[in-house]
Amino acid sequence: MTKHEETHKFLVGIFNDEDILIGAIKKLQAAGVKLHDAYTPYPVHHLDEYLGFKRSRLSKAAFLFGATGAILAATFQSYVMGIDWPMIIGGKDFIAPPSFVPVTFEFAVLCASLGMVATFLVSNGLLPWKKAVMFDPRSTDDKFVLAINLADNKKIEEAKIVELLKANGAEEVNTKEIKKK
Amino acid sequence: MQYTSPIREPLVLQGKTYADVTEDICRQVEAAPNPRWLGAMFLSLLALGWGSYTLYRTWWYGIGEWGLNKTVGWAWDITNFVWWVGIGHAGTLISAILLLFRQKWRTSINRAAEAMTIFAVLCAGSFILMHMGRPWLAHWALPLPNTYGSLWVNFNSPLVWDVFAISTYLTVSIVFWYMGLIPDLATIRERAKNPIARFIYGAMSFAWNGSAKTWARYEMVALVLAGLSTPLVLSVHTIVSFDFATSVIPGWHTTIFPPYFVAGAIFSGFAMVLTLMLITRHVYKLQAYITLEHIESMNKIILLTGSIVGIAYLTEFFIAWYSGVEYESYCFINRAFGPYWWAYWSMMTCNVISPQFFWFRSMRRNIYVTFALSIVVNIGMWFERFVIIVTSLHRDYVPSSWTMFWPTYVDVGDYIFSFGFFFTCFFLFAKFLPVINIAEVKAILKSSSAPSVIEKEEKVKAGVKLTPSYNPKSE
Amino acid sequence: MASATHYSVEHENLNFVFKSELRKRLIMAMAIGVILILLGCILLMMGIGVADAHHGAGHGTGHHGGGGAEGSGHGFHWTKRLWANLWLNGVFFTGIAVIGVFFVAVQYVAHAGWSSAIKRIPEAFGYFLPITGGLLLILFFIAGHDLFHWTHSSLYEKGGKEFDKILYGKSGFFFFPLKPGSFPFFYVLRMIIFFGGWYFLFMQIRKLSLKEDLETDFNTYLKRPVIYNKLVYISTVFVVFFAISSSVSAWDWIMSIDSHWFSTMFGWYVFSSWHVTGLATIALAVILLKEQGYLKVVNENHLHDLGKFMFAFSIFWTYIWFSQFLLIYYANIPEEAIYFKERLSGHGGLYAPVFFLNIFFNFFFPFLILMTRASKRNVSILKIAIGFILVGHYLDFFMMVMPGTVGANGGFGLIEAGCLLLFASAFIYVVASNLAKAPLIAKNHPFIKESEYHVVL
Repeated sequence: MTKHEETHKFLVGIFNDEDILIGAIKKLQAAGVKLHDAYTPYPVHHLDEYLGFKRSRLSKAAFLFGATGAILAATFQSYVMGIDWPMIIGGKDFIAPPSFVPVTFEFAVLCASLGMVATFLVSNGLLPWKKAVMFDPRSTDDKFVLAINLADNKKIEEAKIVELLKANGAEEVNTKEIKKK
Repeated sequence: MQYTSPIREPLVLQGKTYADVTEDICRQVEAAPNPRWLGAMFLSLLALGWGSYTLYRTWWYGIGEWGLNKTVGWAWDITNFVWWVGIGHAGTLISAILLLFRQKWRTSINRAAEAMTIFAVLCAGSFILMHMGRPWLAHWALPLPNTYGSLWVNFNSPLVWDVFAISTYLTVSIVFWYMGLIPDLATIRERAKNPIARFIYGAMSFAWNGSAKTWARYEMVALVLAGLSTPLVLSVHTIVSFDFATSVIPGWHTTIFPPYFVAGAIFSGFAMVLTLMLITRHVYKLQAYITLEHIESMNKIILLTGSIVGIAYLTEFFIAWYSGVEYESYCFINRAFGPYWWAYWSMMTCNVISPQFFWFRSMRRNIYVTFALSIVVNIGMWFERFVIIVTSLHRDYVPSSWTMFWPTYVDVGDYIFSFGFFFTCFFLFAKFLPVINIAEVKAILKSSSAPSVIEKEEKVKAGVKLTPSYNPKSE
Repeated sequence: MASATHYSVEHENLNFVFKSELRKRLIMAMAIGVILILLGCILLMMGIGVADAHHGAGHGTGHHGGGGAEGSGHGFHWTKRLWANLWLNGVFFTGIAVIGVFFVAVQYVAHAGWSSAIKRIPEAFGYFLPITGGLLLILFFIAGHDLFHWTHSSLYEKGGKEFDKILYGKSGFFFFPLKPGSFPFFYVLRMIIFFGGWYFLFMQIRKLSLKEDLETDFNTYLKRPVIYNKLVYISTVFVVFFAISSSVSAWDWIMSIDSHWFSTMFGWYVFSSWHVTGLATIALAVILLKEQGYLKVVNENHLHDLGKFMFAFSIFWTYIWFSQFLLIYYANIPEEAIYFKERLSGHGGLYAPVFFLNIFFNFFFPFLILMTRASKRNVSILKIAIGFILVGHYLDFFMMVMPGTVGANGGFGLIEAGCLLLFASAFIYVVASNLAKAPLIAKNHPFIKESEYHVVL
């Protein structure tokens, strides 16, 4: 946070339906308007793609976390049972791979799940002590909200964007000042 | 474009709008507790109180308070443990496996089922702590560095696998459940008028604002979690079954145990979900969201898993004979015709015969029949575990040590404790958190709702092109 | 989403043409298969590739308590290897054929929409059932004694030298209601009932499915989809019948080869192996047809789902395999453990490499290859995964059938290659000729539009 808190001015278009929102997104993009983000009460499929966000790499992160967990668990069990305190159990080898499968699997799943969820929460700023940035509270209820940062669209007049929003189905267009990150 | 065939039944009735969904589900969270809820909570606390007394006796005087003897060393404790773990399979199954199979009907029931799962797994865990006798040494089950040099846990032991499986399952289930709650908690936060509620739900909702970028990643997380939870949920009951099947005790050592235990777990879990959801649906008036179609779908799964369990029973019986192993054969004859014949035939009647009613559509869609059978199924599944554990143990390889197990009031009291705990948790959940996943129901509203004529006209006026996904039959 | 071109069902080229060129090639392949088998037989007759031709008995580890090297009482004759191979392929391809029907039935029972555009492909698999059924039945009469130890009547003569108490105890399962050691009436009856039942129910499904094509007005039909409802009903009957028959047929046709061995999981194990093989075959058929320019409605989203199925059921197979293996390994009871002991270290370690290839081909490769979204939507990668699954599960059945029949005289030679080629080309021939007889797309399937607009996230 900088000492001199500055704000960005946003235009906030409120829509009634996901299809109208997507239609408007396409039209605005075609007119050269740069969009900030959209806010919806439920996940609208492919909305991120229309807005030009990259596909998330979280699944790859999950794989890496899981693989790490699996290697750790397998190594630890082999060390404990085979090297640190070898014991003959059930006439099996000290290092008996089939017996290590369950714990290896469980630990891999645990690491993959927790690692991925933690990555997701932190990278999206979803933390209990943070305050939500809401452009319109109704976006958690029944409205579909499109936010446009005017700082990103210096070449296009504000009034023109408002007009575009209204012409493409926005039932309201408001403005909102949001602190810079 | 999403297309839904008109012959599919709608999953949300009464032409609910997005705002209606929010309102219908948040209302319960925001309203003051109603007398019925208070009454139910009182009963749960009563059970918990009585159970706490017997639990105190279990821990103060030791597990000698139970009806165990030197032949039967596992009885009600492990029966209850397996029973609760089994019940705890439905939630994650519904959220994970049904998500992977794109079953939209999961959206109305997954939240409560997941909560139920978590509480059931906690109940199961409580029996593990109980049967240790000395719960203050519970951490010995973990591979922790210790003062005895490098004496670790035995990783060849299925009981250690169980520690990992159950704790992983509990953790991942809680994470999965909470991830689903975050968007709904944000909805409640935005509606909250009371500053304290706003603060609490604000902290709990992790600054969620529903941006498209977050949603996209959130969906990815949900999908991957589902992919991870599916084998996880199977592994948990598989490993529970290993507790028995790795041994050389007749009736326990049989290779079909893992998938058969899993099927049984799903069976009992769905039954418990139905028991709870039918009550919740009635009390909270959620008929528009939990429709007969939902109930029928769940009953179909009960029929499927019940029949799988039935086939597994017959397979075990057949192979016991086919193998020519006399101990194995005797064990099964003893189950069916020995002194615990009543437990065996209760199990058979409740688990194999009673679900067969669900071959009839009229039965699947009858709420009273469903409710009754959902309880019968769980009685049967309790007997299944009792039969497996006690009848295999009570007549061991040495006939002179053959004996019977009878529970004491402490056995019963500890079981009641788990009920008290379970229902206390569930009622708290049902009061303070949304019992239906608001965001997910909204997501299927467009493709699976039966709208009212008025709403449809409004949409046409607003210029929305109606997709053919609306079901013409419902009008 | 923004897929390049959307193909609608109405514009679909509905008819598959079984070109004479393909027909010729398949007949050629079958002929080559037969020649390879003949060459292999000649080599075996000359004693090449026979481990213990001079000892006259196919003893494996020398341990006879359990399943090891049973049926060796008559010594090894080269025909045994031929019969074992025919039996192996017969069972393997029966699995693929019946899983085709099972897949269709499950889609109906589950009210699945996405798969309705490809359902005609697995549907054609069912036509192979009478062929393998007839073959297995005839083979049982010709080669029963070579394949199944329990068929020898001397084992049931009380007081006889070879009397076997264990087999006598379960003789009813094979010989009921006749005398133990006589004609295995119950066994043969079951085989007829299973094939008959599968084929009969398959014909019902097929007939109704073709009848649905004749509906003239789709929208009118949707208001009262009578045929569809009947299909759901018949499919349910099939699934129930298959649930029981698949397990019992696995005990009959495979588990009883190792006559003393038993595992409660075995029926489901064979089912899981059959199932994933069937799914891979369906995916392969869909891809090949698409490459020929058919099935335009089918796009990467459908392939993605087929890929998911292969991925999931490869893991399911592994789960079943591991559960069965671990429990037997862990408890280490001799009469059970002999099964894996024979495969891991019996017969001079002949089967040990296959044992490990089995796990690599059927678990590690499909798991790693099909894990990402992109690979499930890529035809070339899918084909690689399908290759591993098909070869892997052939090896899986090889592991089930061969040690108990030919034992130390097994291996992968000309007979094996020839049989596989013969069966595969015959299967393709039958499927292709039946695919050509009906439209490739069931255009009146109530969910066909869902399949057309199907998108996987």
